[in-house]
Amino acid sequence: MAEPMPKQQSAISSLLLRSSGIIFFLIFWEVSSRMHWIDPYFLPRFSAVITELWNLAEDGTLYSNMIISSARAIGGLAIACVAGLPLGFAFGRWFPATSAVLDPLLRIMSQVNPFLVLLISTLILGLGETTKFAVIAWVSIWPLLFYTMTAVRTIDPLLIKTARSMGISESGLLLKILIPAALPTIFTGLRISAGITFFILVAVEMLNASSGLGWYEHNAAMNFEINGMYAGASVIVLLGFLLNRFFISLERSLFTWRAPVEFLLGGAKTATRLALWRPGRVGIAAATLAIMGLFVSGSFEIVRVNTERANSLAGIDAGKHARHLGSEVDK
Amino acid sequence: MAPHQNPKIEIRNISRTFSHTTVGSDGSREFTALEDITLTVRTGEFLAIVGPSGCGKSTLLDILAGLSPATSGEVLIDGVPVTRPTLNRGIVLQGYSLLAWRTVRKNIEFGLEVKNIPKSERRAISDRYIALVGLTGFEDHYPHELSGGMQQRVALARALAYDPEILLLDEPFAAVDALTRENLQNELLRIWNETGKTIVFVTHSIEEATYLADRVAVLTTNPGTIRQVVDVQLPRPRSEGDIRSTPEFGRIRHSLWNLLQNGGAHA
Amino acid sequence: MTRSVSKRSSWGIHAAQVGIVALIALGWELFPHLGILTANTFPPLSRAITTILTDHLFARHALTSIGRAYGGLTAAILVGLPLGLLLGGWFNRFQQALEPLMELFGQANPVILSHIVVLFFGIGTGTQLFVISWLSIWPISFSAINGVRSVDPQILKMAASLGIGRWQLFTRVILPSAAPAIITGIRLSAGYAFIMLIAAELMGATTGLGYVMATSAETADMNSLAAAALVVTILALTTDLFLKQAGKRLVVWRYQGGVD
Repeated sequence: MAEPMPKQQSAISSLLLRSSGIIFFLIFWEVSSRMHWIDPYFLPRFSAVITELWNLAEDGTLYSNMIISSARAIGGLAIACVAGLPLGFAFGRWFPATSAVLDPLLRIMSQVNPFLVLLISTLILGLGETTKFAVIAWVSIWPLLFYTMTAVRTIDPLLIKTARSMGISESGLLLKILIPAALPTIFTGLRISAGITFFILVAVEMLNASSGLGWYEHNAAMNFEINGMYAGASVIVLLGFLLNRFFISLERSLFTWRAPVEFLLGGAKTATRLALWRPGRVGIAAATLAIMGLFVSGSFEIVRVNTERANSLAGIDAGKHARHLGSEVDK
Repeated sequence: MAPHQNPKIEIRNISRTFSHTTVGSDGSREFTALEDITLTVRTGEFLAIVGPSGCGKSTLLDILAGLSPATSGEVLIDGVPVTRPTLNRGIVLQGYSLLAWRTVRKNIEFGLEVKNIPKSERRAISDRYIALVGLTGFEDHYPHELSGGMQQRVALARALAYDPEILLLDEPFAAVDALTRENLQNELLRIWNETGKTIVFVTHSIEEATYLADRVAVLTTNPGTIRQVVDVQLPRPRSEGDIRSTPEFGRIRHSLWNLLQNGGAHA
Repeated sequence: MTRSVSKRSSWGIHAAQVGIVALIALGWELFPHLGILTANTFPPLSRAITTILTDHLFARHALTSIGRAYGGLTAAILVGLPLGLLLGGWFNRFQQALEPLMELFGQANPVILSHIVVLFFGIGTGTQLFVISWLSIWPISFSAINGVRSVDPQILKMAASLGIGRWQLFTRVILPSAAPAIITGIRLSAGYAFIMLIAAELMGATTGLGYVMATSAETADMNSLAAAALVVTILALTTDLFLKQAGKRLVVWRYQGGVD
């Protein structure tokens, strides 16, 4: 039943295998639309969608919406981090009793439907950017908070004991022991939060905005611009996928990683890699600058688009378009 | 308990090489774990295999168990070549490998289920082996509720329960503290005495090998070959008195130690 | 962080937890009455509860939503679980090829998906069911795949040494071993399902709690909004709690502590 150890797949054949599923899907998409197996009105050809995407890229719509969405995502996530990380530390380490008492309440609050939060937020804060940032921040904070709490709580007490025995200061303990030890788990929380941020961002833009990727897709759908709708959808799905993958590979290279051992059901053996990569100060500074740059350019774009709209669509409330199909009040 | 003279296990010219697609540290693409191993184990004998880490001891055991094929050579059990794992061999691994979701009793009955023994009989058999390893009263506990030594005893009972003629143990007591290890060693000897099974015991501890075995096979490393097979002519039962302090024990232990010098490398 | 909490303080913590929730509920009820919060924008709790219990129209919406959520989740389990088990345990090549595609599919936003699915299925329960199922399938599949792939190799070796057949290996060893991961996946999906439900109903429905939320927000009918919010939150919480307990019961031998 057991076989001799199978040879490791080469990197190229592995890549081919992993992409084959997607490639087949795209081919199937193209063919079924061309052959009219599915009504091409409902499902335009993949090539048509690509063409539309190209047009959008050319006339700047794609860039504009992407950077706007990025700014909102970064802003919301940043707020969540700034609030969630210290809070998580506090609850996990310095106020464990309080956190234990508040735990069910926090869990309830985290389960509150994000769309409900959006609706209430809109009622309270109106239709502006504040609502969007608030909702995104609210939804993103929970994974960060919970994972940070767990991370801090599960730091090996022996590490702390050892450090204390060397007479370390409180701030030293925090910086040199607590933060590094908790970092891997916190990072997982960050990854999950980032995914949620993106998800809720798109949803918020669809329901509540006049710019951004979500808005674009929704607008195209409402106006039956099918190609545009699919184009927008593709970009969103692709971005979400890339974001997730990016975080996963970042997580892997920052923290030691071991692949599962070959198992007896005939699986191919996966490579065992131990990678520990420390980005230098330069790397971190560069990354921070890049992110801030995205945020700033996006914010400018938001302002630009909003003022443009306000000027050209004077009198019509640009944010209030039909929120769902089937409502008689269709705009 | 003199072992019968009939060979139970015949290992003939067993070789095992592994190939990597990445180049090894010495520039080779192949790793020879075992080279031309020939050995005979008699029925009812207790054979220990010692050697430094990485010398292929575990690989040999895998081949005996039928879990891994040899690159060349053959293993005969009762004259029949070994091709795949069967229920006439029981293996006990270092890491207990207990099924965490089953109770002690259900773990022991695992092999019986595979053997399709009816439920009514299973209970009687598991009762017997639970008593044999001294775990009466713990039948309905889960592995995570037991100590390391107790878990190892469950693993032992499970391997014994479906009554294989041959027991293969791969450093079973390595993960247990010294005191528990001594107890388990005596338990194993007692069980061996009562059941008369053929045992092949892999260990890196020459002291353990000397204490337990009738004969000790010393394996070298890279490639793994048998340096020598040493007879252990110590009286049984070994648990009587402090046999580890006798000069005879020391002499045998020392000869094993000598054979393992130079990392057990080839002369 | 001390793990051992004495019985008395554990009770104290539980009491405090209940106390806080009760306090909030009390505040919700009393503040509008006392005028601390305007009763129009913040109707008292009792009114919301009355609506839930007595308003038949509301009840119908609620039941529709419940049906969609649980129906979608069940469909996702029925499809996603076998899919994940097969891919993880048997068809390793397929799994490698399909996994990126599945990841891509799992990215689809319920709102986007609603737009697309509505083109094919129109506005109606079918769309919501499809959207919810679609989005819940992938986490369940992934957890099954990972559960199967992370079985302790030592246990596999031990079982293989008995000459066990492939099917028995799967049912007796791999499946129980993967159970905790699978249950976690289902819990995760259940959590998402309710979010998806509301999103899908906001996008393309004329019935259901999401629809109620949308219309009541538009008409500033705070009471209906509160009622709908309450029902959805309670549903999500109880489902999560139920699955957590079921998980503990089934997998009594190893409850995955963790983030939850």
